[in-house]
Amino acid sequence: MMRLFMKPARAFRNQELARKLIWINCLLILVPLAAMGVYTFASFQHAMEKNVGSYQLQTLRQVSLNIDTYMNELDRLTLTPYSYKEIMDFISSPREPGQPLSLEEIESLNRFVSSIFINGRLDIMGVSLYGEKGASYVVLPESQYITTYRLDESADWLKQARSRFGQPTFITTHEVVSTSGTPYQVFSIARELRSFDTGRSLGYIVIDIDPVSVRKLLQQAETSAHEMMYIVDGQGQAVIRRDDSQPVLELGALSGQGVLQGSGKGNEKRLVAYVTSEVTGWTTISAVPIKELMKDSLIVRNSIALAMLVCIGLAIAVSVIVAYRITRPLRKLSRLMRKVEQGELLVQFPVHSEDEVGRLGHAFNMMVSKLSKLGYLLYETEIREKDAQIAALQSQINPHFLYNTLGSISMLAEVAGNREIVTMSNNLGRLLRYSLSNRKERVTLRDELIHVGGYMSIQKIRYEERIHYTQQVPDESLDLLVIPLMIQPIVENAINHGIDKGIGSGRIELRAVVDANTLTIIVEDDGIGLTKEELDSLRERMLHSKELGGQSGNGLLNVHRRIVLHYGEAYGLTLESMPYQGVKVSMILPAQRHTE
Amino acid sequence: MLLLAGALAGCTGESEEQPAPQPRREAVRLDYWTPFSGGDNQFMTEMVERFNKEQSEIMVVQTNSRLDDYYTRLRTAILSGNAPDIAIIHTTSMPQFVQNGYIEEVTAAAEQIGLDLNQLNSNIRESTEYNGQSYAVPLDTHALVMYYNKQHLRRAGVLDEATGKPRIEPGEEGFRQFLEQIREAVPADVTPMAMPSTRIDSVWLWWSLYNQMDEGGIFYNEQGKAAFNNPQGLQALSYIHGLYKDGLIGPNINDSFKLFYDGKAAVLFLGMWGTGAFEKSPEVELGVVTVPVLYDRPAQWGDSHSLAIPKKHNMTDEKRRAAMIFSKWMVENGELWAQAGHVPSMTKVVESEAFHQLEYRNDYAAAADHVVYWPRHPKQWSMIEILITEFERMIYDKQTPEETLMQAQLKVDVALEE
Repeated sequence: MMRLFMKPARAFRNQELARKLIWINCLLILVPLAAMGVYTFASFQHAMEKNVGSYQLQTLRQVSLNIDTYMNELDRLTLTPYSYKEIMDFISSPREPGQPLSLEEIESLNRFVSSIFINGRLDIMGVSLYGEKGASYVVLPESQYITTYRLDESADWLKQARSRFGQPTFITTHEVVSTSGTPYQVFSIARELRSFDTGRSLGYIVIDIDPVSVRKLLQQAETSAHEMMYIVDGQGQAVIRRDDSQPVLELGALSGQGVLQGSGKGNEKRLVAYVTSEVTGWTTISAVPIKELMKDSLIVRNSIALAMLVCIGLAIAVSVIVAYRITRPLRKLSRLMRKVEQGELLVQFPVHSEDEVGRLGHAFNMMVSKLSKLGYLLYETEIREKDAQIAALQSQINPHFLYNTLGSISMLAEVAGNREIVTMSNNLGRLLRYSLSNRKERVTLRDELIHVGGYMSIQKIRYEERIHYTQQVPDESLDLLVIPLMIQPIVENAINHGIDKGIGSGRIELRAVVDANTLTIIVEDDGIGLTKEELDSLRERMLHSKELGGQSGNGLLNVHRRIVLHYGEAYGLTLESMPYQGVKVSMILPAQRHTE
Repeated sequence: MLLLAGALAGCTGESEEQPAPQPRREAVRLDYWTPFSGGDNQFMTEMVERFNKEQSEIMVVQTNSRLDDYYTRLRTAILSGNAPDIAIIHTTSMPQFVQNGYIEEVTAAAEQIGLDLNQLNSNIRESTEYNGQSYAVPLDTHALVMYYNKQHLRRAGVLDEATGKPRIEPGEEGFRQFLEQIREAVPADVTPMAMPSTRIDSVWLWWSLYNQMDEGGIFYNEQGKAAFNNPQGLQALSYIHGLYKDGLIGPNINDSFKLFYDGKAAVLFLGMWGTGAFEKSPEVELGVVTVPVLYDRPAQWGDSHSLAIPKKHNMTDEKRRAAMIFSKWMVENGELWAQAGHVPSMTKVVESEAFHQLEYRNDYAAAADHVVYWPRHPKQWSMIEILITEFERMIYDKQTPEETLMQAQLKVDVALEE
């Protein structure tokens, strides 16, 4: 189960950022919009069906009411025999079937029937009177009266009429045949006629009515073309249909009134409203194909769908554009990164905004420029090392030869008993060995000072008593690490400037101060000093120039650059000088120990 | 996207149109009242259906009532402003409707839609004309005829097999003899002659026979008083009374039409309208002749159905025009109406092949020439009703023929005074 989700999840995770954004946008737009559309339409349709249903029911109730009014009129007609004494006498008289009527009877019966025909509506087709004791007077459409009928005890209508205690019963549409053989469709109303004196049943009156009249009432209702409307009796048998070509639905027994939503299947789904009349006990049914009703809602639905499609299309298009726009700088950055990866450092990300992407771009630019600066420094260091090496190589024509020569000189001087030459040549040998063979990056201050000491003992011999070299180095600083051949050029410079120019007492002081993390080595002389211009130019060059050329201060610059390259801009040389008052050079280094 | 597609798929593809039966809503609807109660109504209904089918501008809706109540209904409807758009009116009843303008004069309307009334049989046409103006379009003539069941006549030996006509000796006695012979030959449940004990039938026969006499046929005298109580009238009535009394006409006959239709009568006097129905009866081997001449000359009661437009305030030109178009169609398609038994009013139709091919109609078509209408009188129908009542009393032995005519004449005079 989890695996099922894992795969697409992984696939999604590996998608491009823009695609992810598009997918998420689509999901966020589509799902709510579609859900809303479906919900809106469904509730609209539901409301519409409900409205239509209740409207249909209302219409039907009106139709049913009209029919009831009509039926009540018929109901009243069936009461007329009670107001004709001679008719009641005829009905209650015992008679043989076909027994001829007297002229008076013919007259009164004819008058009675005529009164029903004339007082009733045009649509009365027949009137029949039946007596329990054999009397009958039946007038069928297009026929003369008939006196030969007998009550058929098994007839349904008779049973019904008997069970209704004088209330009329309505008989569903059936066929009567005139004497000339023409069949007529009629429905009937029958009433049991009873004697007030005895309470016994005397007979029945049946009035036959042309269903067309009721059909007209059905047809008067405002209905749509496909609407079916018909009346069924209690057994579900069709009594009257609005249109005989319309089928009768199988709805089972219905009573009261109500609406059936969507009876039938598929295309035949119908909205059915029904009202059962209390007068006739018949149910008037109207059924409209839902398809017909929903024509309007179909239009609504289609427009909703269309609008939604357009909206969704637009939204997706916009989200695609937005997604690509948002991720464009990122893609560009990633392209630039790849270039940097390949070593192309001369790239620049155009920053247009101050947002995260802008800041990222800015950081990228900084990074690249730093990278290129670092590259340059590395490069410079390498070159400088190379230069130093080349220089060393140049001067190192054959160190062993020099050492051996110096060794020979020392031995000869020893033999000759010249102690000074021995000392000088030994010191020079050590000096050369230290400067030429030292490949270490760092040396201890002690070693460096030994080297300076060797150098100074040679210079002392050169300058005899004109040099007053003092050294004040605290013991704890001796183990600190420094760059090799760093102090000697400064001291050399002090001798050159301080003593060679012949001014001052030839005093050269070397001091070391350890202060927190900083080691400061100070070389001070009391020579000719530097003019303000010289000092400024020298300081300027130390700050900016990466060149090593120039006449004076070559050694100073070299040492300064090396310190800066090794330890960073915070470290280096500082100069203080006044004309005729000497120069004070301070070397500021980090206090590093060997253990690191 | 899938969700939406699903929602859409569920909604399409269900909207194919079903061709709806087009109701003719725009058609002009004509309410048409008819009083047919013989076998002819089914023919009228067929014609109306056919008319409705043949064109779509006019929709005729027929309402048929039994004749007994028809005029009461029509009169009430006209007086209450609920008259139909077009109605059948018998020529006999027409004066009643022409007076006070209860029906519209149709000469101009007929001309407008191209119905030439001169193409109608002049006798029939004139029966609908008052002061030179036509008040209705006559549809037919129908006269009293004598139907007979050849099976029964053959058994009695009074059928001329060669011509299919009955063999009747001339005069009152001849016809009586004819019925006697039948009575002897047929089973007891078959009546020689069928005529109802009530209603108008005996009055028709009386009027026919009365008019066969040289001196007969007078209903009103020159002073406008009733004048039918005379020797000729009495002779005719006494003859009819005799037939009832001697049982040549069966007792207590209610529905003579049904009796003959069922083969339970040998001879029947009825209007021509029964022909179409009797032809179809399995019990009857039908023969039809004009009313036999018992006296001096051929004559038989006759009437005609005509199509009239009852006056009402909401009658429109459109409906009037539609009514005339319908009338024109009805007379031009008279051969359909002739199938019921009537003689069509349009000369062209009577002369047509279609009419000649109809059996029996030819035999009595000539009757149209000897038709005796009731006198034109606004109250004529009421007078006839008086005659019916008095005749019924005579048939039920409440009074003699002499008393009958005397009573009738008295009552008619009283009615005239009203």
